[in-house]
Amino acid sequence: MFVCIQFIPTNRNQSTEIFETDVTKIFEVPQNIQTLLNESCYDCHSNNTKYHWYDKIQPVSLFVERHINEGKKELNFSEFGAYSNRKQKSKLKFLISQVKDDKMPISSYALIYSNAKLSKSEKKEIMDWATTLRDSLK
Amino acid sequence: MYIKPTHNLGQFFVNLSMRKILLTTFLLLTFLFPQTQDESNEIHMEETNNHHNDGNGSMVNNSSESATKAASIQNNSSTSEIIDAYLQLKNALTEDNKEKAAEAGNAILAAFSNFNISQLTEDEHKEYMEIVENAKEQAEHIVKSPIDHQREHFEVLSNDVKDLIALLGIETGTTLYETFCPMYNNPKGAMWLSETDEIKNPFYGSKMLKCGKVQKQMN
Repeated sequence: MFVCIQFIPTNRNQSTEIFETDVTKIFEVPQNIQTLLNESCYDCHSNNTKYHWYDKIQPVSLFVERHINEGKKELNFSEFGAYSNRKQKSKLKFLISQVKDDKMPISSYALIYSNAKLSKSEKKEIMDWATTLRDSLK
Repeated sequence: MYIKPTHNLGQFFVNLSMRKILLTTFLLLTFLFPQTQDESNEIHMEETNNHHNDGNGSMVNNSSESATKAASIQNNSSTSEIIDAYLQLKNALTEDNKEKAAEAGNAILAAFSNFNISQLTEDEHKEYMEIVENAKEQAEHIVKSPIDHQREHFEVLSNDVKDLIALLGIETGTTLYETFCPMYNNPKGAMWLSETDEIKNPFYGSKMLKCGKVQKQMN
């Protein structure tokens, strides 16, 4: 059974390019924020996931794929530049409130990937950046 | 002795294949013919719709006063369903009622799909689509979220509905009040639309029902 399910195909959410619509290409994103976004958000909210070996084993692989699809539907930093101004503003609003309330990164994810967990000061850095960016949008 | 049965058997197969053909033809006639009729009906209906749309388009392009008036009445009747659903949500939140708010979220989604976009000009269409994309997302979250989260999405939705009204107007005879709560979303405050100037705060509900003040009246 375990061997059989290994043959269930899943799509890998990976790409070598940085998209023209990536948030870092559209807006000035300071290096420290880029690092935080990469470590804590991009696995589920961009077109490029850094997989671990166990993510490629079924049934984990299927679970991870579904999870990433849902995450990207809500917010995809790789396509942020293609969002309307209105949508960018609301996405930033909810980014701030989700980080503030510790809803993001999701606790089960942060538990497995300890790198993804945001410290109090990192939370503040991200929230301040998002607030400034949001206010700068018309 | 051998020939006869073979001959009979052959005839039997001929009969069988003829039966098959007849049966197939019959089935084809029974199932395909009504379907073809349905299709032709659909095409006919589409054509009628197109004619209808063409009529609208030319009416909008036509700058005569009566035509513009007719077009704006159509706009209004459609935005009123969206506004009604929005007010239903607002009232559910003033009552701290998560379930009713979720129902209203569905009503908002339905109102947007009922809205006839073919009546919009190109510029209106672009802005409308941006507003709706954002507003629908808020409504989808309102359907499935706890009340605190519903209220966060309601705040965004309120701005979308306000912009929608600025774009397309409201039905003649309707009055809405733009009301402001300075406390929510600290320190920015938040706006909501109401059908009455009596303050009932949807962001706090029973916790602070009377917080807020009317900023503008829209007719």
